[in-house]
Amino acid sequence: MSPGETKRWVGESLPRKEENRLLRGRGKFADDVKLRDMLYLRFIRSPYAHAKILSIDVSAAEALPGVICTLTGAEIAPQTQPFIEIGPEPFAKIKDYPLAVSRARYQGEPVAAVVATSPAIADDAAELVPVEYDSLDPVVDGEQALQDKSLLHEEAGTNRVWNGVFEYGDVDRAFKDAAYIVNIDRLHFHRFSSTPLENNVIIAEWDPKDERISYSCNNSFPSFAIQFLAAHLNVHIDRIRVETSDIGGSFGIKITSYPQMAVCALASKKAGGRPVKWVETRSEHMTSSAHGNERTFRDTRVALDKDGVITAITSRHIDDCGAYPRYEPLGCVIWSQVFPGVYRFQNARIDFTQTVTSKCPVGPNRGYSRMQHLWFLERVVDLCAHELGIAPDEMRLRNYIRPEEFPYTTPNGCVYDSGNYPKMLQVAKDLIGWEEWKKKQAVARKEGRLFGMGIGTTLDSGTNNFGQSQIVNPGLPYSGNSQGANCKLDIYGEVVVAVGSCPQGQGHETTAAQVVADVLNIHPDLVTVRTGFDTERNVHTGFSGTYASQFAVSGLSAVHGAAQKLKAEMKRLAAFALQTSEDDLEFGVGAQGPEVRASGNGKSINYWGLANLVNANTAALPPELYELTLNCRYIWRAPFKVPDRQKKYGNLTLTYASQLHIAIVEVDRETFIPRILDYVAVDDCGTMINPSIVEGQVYGATAHGIGAALMENCVYDPVGNMLTSTFSDYTPITAVNMPALKYGHIETPSPHSYSGAKGMGEGGAAPIHTISAALQDALFSSGIVIEDSFNNADSLFRAMVSKEIVQAGKLVRVERRV
Amino acid sequence: MLTQLGDEAKLLAGGQSLIPLMKLRFANPQHLIDLNFISGTSFIKEKDGILRFGAMTRHAEIEDSSIAQKIPILHDCAAGIADVQVRNRGTIGGSLAEADPSGDWATVLMTLETEVRCLGIKGERTVPIEDFIKDAYTTALDHNELVSEIAVKKPNGNGGGAYLAFKRCAPVYPTASAAVQLTMQGEICKEARIVLGCVGLTPIRARESETALRDKEIGEKAVSAAVEAARTASDPQPDMRGSAEYKRALVGALVKRAINGARRRALGEKIELSHIYA
Amino acid sequence: MPEAVQNIPIQLKVNGKLHSLNVEPRLLLVEMLREHLDLTGTHVGCDTTYCGACTVLMNGATVKSCTMFAVQADGADLLTVEGLEREGQLHPIQKAFADSYGLQCGYCTPGLMLATHQLLSRNRQPDDKVIRKAIAGNTCRCTGYQNVIKAIQLAARNMDRV
Repeated sequence: MSPGETKRWVGESLPRKEENRLLRGRGKFADDVKLRDMLYLRFIRSPYAHAKILSIDVSAAEALPGVICTLTGAEIAPQTQPFIEIGPEPFAKIKDYPLAVSRARYQGEPVAAVVATSPAIADDAAELVPVEYDSLDPVVDGEQALQDKSLLHEEAGTNRVWNGVFEYGDVDRAFKDAAYIVNIDRLHFHRFSSTPLENNVIIAEWDPKDERISYSCNNSFPSFAIQFLAAHLNVHIDRIRVETSDIGGSFGIKITSYPQMAVCALASKKAGGRPVKWVETRSEHMTSSAHGNERTFRDTRVALDKDGVITAITSRHIDDCGAYPRYEPLGCVIWSQVFPGVYRFQNARIDFTQTVTSKCPVGPNRGYSRMQHLWFLERVVDLCAHELGIAPDEMRLRNYIRPEEFPYTTPNGCVYDSGNYPKMLQVAKDLIGWEEWKKKQAVARKEGRLFGMGIGTTLDSGTNNFGQSQIVNPGLPYSGNSQGANCKLDIYGEVVVAVGSCPQGQGHETTAAQVVADVLNIHPDLVTVRTGFDTERNVHTGFSGTYASQFAVSGLSAVHGAAQKLKAEMKRLAAFALQTSEDDLEFGVGAQGPEVRASGNGKSINYWGLANLVNANTAALPPELYELTLNCRYIWRAPFKVPDRQKKYGNLTLTYASQLHIAIVEVDRETFIPRILDYVAVDDCGTMINPSIVEGQVYGATAHGIGAALMENCVYDPVGNMLTSTFSDYTPITAVNMPALKYGHIETPSPHSYSGAKGMGEGGAAPIHTISAALQDALFSSGIVIEDSFNNADSLFRAMVSKEIVQAGKLVRVERRV
Repeated sequence: MLTQLGDEAKLLAGGQSLIPLMKLRFANPQHLIDLNFISGTSFIKEKDGILRFGAMTRHAEIEDSSIAQKIPILHDCAAGIADVQVRNRGTIGGSLAEADPSGDWATVLMTLETEVRCLGIKGERTVPIEDFIKDAYTTALDHNELVSEIAVKKPNGNGGGAYLAFKRCAPVYPTASAAVQLTMQGEICKEARIVLGCVGLTPIRARESETALRDKEIGEKAVSAAVEAARTASDPQPDMRGSAEYKRALVGALVKRAINGARRRALGEKIELSHIYA
Repeated sequence: MPEAVQNIPIQLKVNGKLHSLNVEPRLLLVEMLREHLDLTGTHVGCDTTYCGACTVLMNGATVKSCTMFAVQADGADLLTVEGLEREGQLHPIQKAFADSYGLQCGYCTPGLMLATHQLLSRNRQPDDKVIRKAIAGNTCRCTGYQNVIKAIQLAARNMDRV
């Protein structure tokens, strides 16, 4: 906090400003936007996972009354550039167009589009487009894809998108000196999606008169999208306007909608500039928006000392990114932000490979790339504990990074800002009644019941250093991170804030107002925060959007900076107007509204008066104050350096929030249904700007994790048919599935944000690690290894009864040296 | 109208199965005949030991009905179908006419003396429930007939029934379900009806399971035999709800619990049974 | 190819106001609300009658308006989220959701509040289990349902006092 700021609002559970419209059904979601002469677009999609496109016949569709035009990939390709590829050769050479040109590469890939005067006519027309395919061999399994028998992208000549070895410390020495070596053949993190309740919606207008493209949509990383769109469509970035308003959740899934944005713009252009709206159906969302990364971990070897402290880990990781990389291969380095997780081991070799498969392209799903790795580490720790007979809580305490070691530099140069994992473990154990449950467990086990207690410790790293992208592709011109904000006094003195974020329920309007209110010492109700994102407001940087758990740090730091800049100008102006020195001034609220007071002579000037001097009464200003605008734009930059690309070393994220969950689980011996008997979530996100908003997001992230662990799985059959294309098959978690959650928090402030806050929205997917651990605890003595992140009654049955799944003896082997 | 329009027409009752199919364009009838505006089709009456339900009676109305609660297994069924919103629209007649292999009503009604009254151009006829459901999505109805009423005979005083299902969550069909109706004489089971749901093309009457209980005490041995027989009788298909082997195991576990619930109710206990969720 | 279809005239009350419309037979109730009556507070979230974002009250009972045709609401009395407030005053359910942080993105909230309306009109003291079952047909991706349940319990207490 700066001098003259009274901390009254940051840290308060202020009611959210957003409620007023959202509760009254007055939210403005993208499908609520209706434009004059609007047309409706429907995609035609490939039913095959991998096929050559032989012909597309749009004539019947075009003949249908009400159909304005159609589009195909063959038509788009000559007019556009293929999308920028983030990765290096050979995948830099692939041709990614928003409509498949010669080949479809996953079931559901768009191959054509129809545009009509009503959604129903567009649906009717879409049924009238016969497409001839010649099916090819799909590749559904990541490890199989790496054999390169069936190539998805001929231009690349391989399915392998990227490979890199991350090696630190002295791995061979650690294994030589080890008291125990645990070998784990295979672990697998499943493919799922956060499936926001609102699907993607895009309205595009490509005006032939001035060639500007206007979007009204719910993309959640517009600065990223416009960079891809400008290059693809051959237009200047400044000609692309993106406006978002209320967004019904994103969780990272709405980041990669730029291909659909491209098609809508091209369709509008073809339709003479009329606005074209695409409202994604749920089935389209399930099959072709974005999924989370699927990852397999092979040949893991763990070296431990005689006390069960891990000294080294080696492993081969295979990441499956679906048919087109898009945001990938950034995921190939992003996991390394949390390279050792919450653990102290110094030596490791991770051989990381990413491959394409004939499945939906992945996107940065909540917990992006880190949750897969954190789950892996937690499984390793948990399995080693079981194998060595060490209690799970004791095992973690022995291996945790210690509180006194912060700020902690990891083997790969990331700096964990602050944290206290042992304390979180104690808080969690107290809240859930660990000792009581242990007693109940002992009783239950005597009765032969399958009763498990599991711990999951995880991190939510926030505010990326985009320089890590150079580790996957040295040629990329990205590094650091920034966010923009604007804070002004409007012509009549109203305080108005704009920030380059596109919130999807995180309460940015409210928290931004809290920050500004503290700077100016007024009530947050007097601060207007412009909702949504708009490129026209010109507050965005190349990194603006809402993703990667960073708003509390990047967004609010930008808002704070802008408010400070504004305050400095107001001081100079008030000092002049009140004929006093700047030191004499106080900010507050008086009879005439928000004002600045001179404590010496008792004079005051309200915000209207200040704004009037700059906007409408300018002859009254002396020349030295001409530079004041009371309209202050501020760019916050994260203090990053470009990492060492060769050594894969450097600080990759600014803040590290942590989560520690405990679950008590029982597996019914007759029905095999896993039931959560009790659950606690403890969170540390540093200083909490609005504690109730934080608490709500912890509950939401917990629900996503429990859903992913027990109910939600994107399933493909061996030939690439997507089997969970509706909610009724996918079953997102509902109220009857959720246990009542216990919640606790600690605060270890971050030195990196002015408030001490850390970003926290993603939550690190702790429940997945926790439930895997609890199930493991329940089933270890039955000889079952939990090797997959997804477990339901059916999979537990197959593991326990039909012994379909290879069991413990083959999956985990322990070498004892002592 | 059905006769006139032939194949191009379908009846619309609750619409909770048909409309989703139409939205996904799996069903494309040219005409819909809306039964919702016809008065006198929704009622719950009791006379001479027979409960009569109008075909258009909503699941929610049956759930809330004190008359229907006189046969607790009917309440188990009505209260567990889908979710609140679907129960407010879906109808018992529509559910039976749909004959979805996972439909709750058919499974439950097959444990009781149930007759389905069918109304057509040629007049009315009555079909026992076992003959009404013929195959997946196939009933004894002619194209120009509809269900008008369902009549269920109240079991005698020493009877008790229970319906248990495991659902991954509310808005989806069960993974498996078991409906059991027992008539007890002291601790001996005199009559048993055991019907398995969601594990075949239609609900399956597990007669071997019934034999395992008949004239025996409902102890561990008899129940185990009944459970084994139920597993053998089931013929599940694998799908996103589970593998065939799992469904087989699950239905056995549900039969065991349903037998226990039915027995307790037959002995006069008032218990609340609800579906199991993940 | 379908031949030209006749629109069907319907009359219904929505939030206390009478409307006369001519609609295509295949128009869904949710489409009628959103497109013809400009009541965009009712949302669409799925296509298999799962998520309940489209929940409205029809003659006092909740229905998923995506799984009904508009013509089926002829003569009905509908309540949507826009009808909860009275002369700018929030309904106790709306207030309770605000006070309990029972929403984040707000997309599922209208449907959830109407499900709450049906529950509380029949049961003023619902426990945790009853509440969860009452909202089992409403999916939320943001809140984990925890604060939603708090909101419903708060609304129940506040409405009980009235």
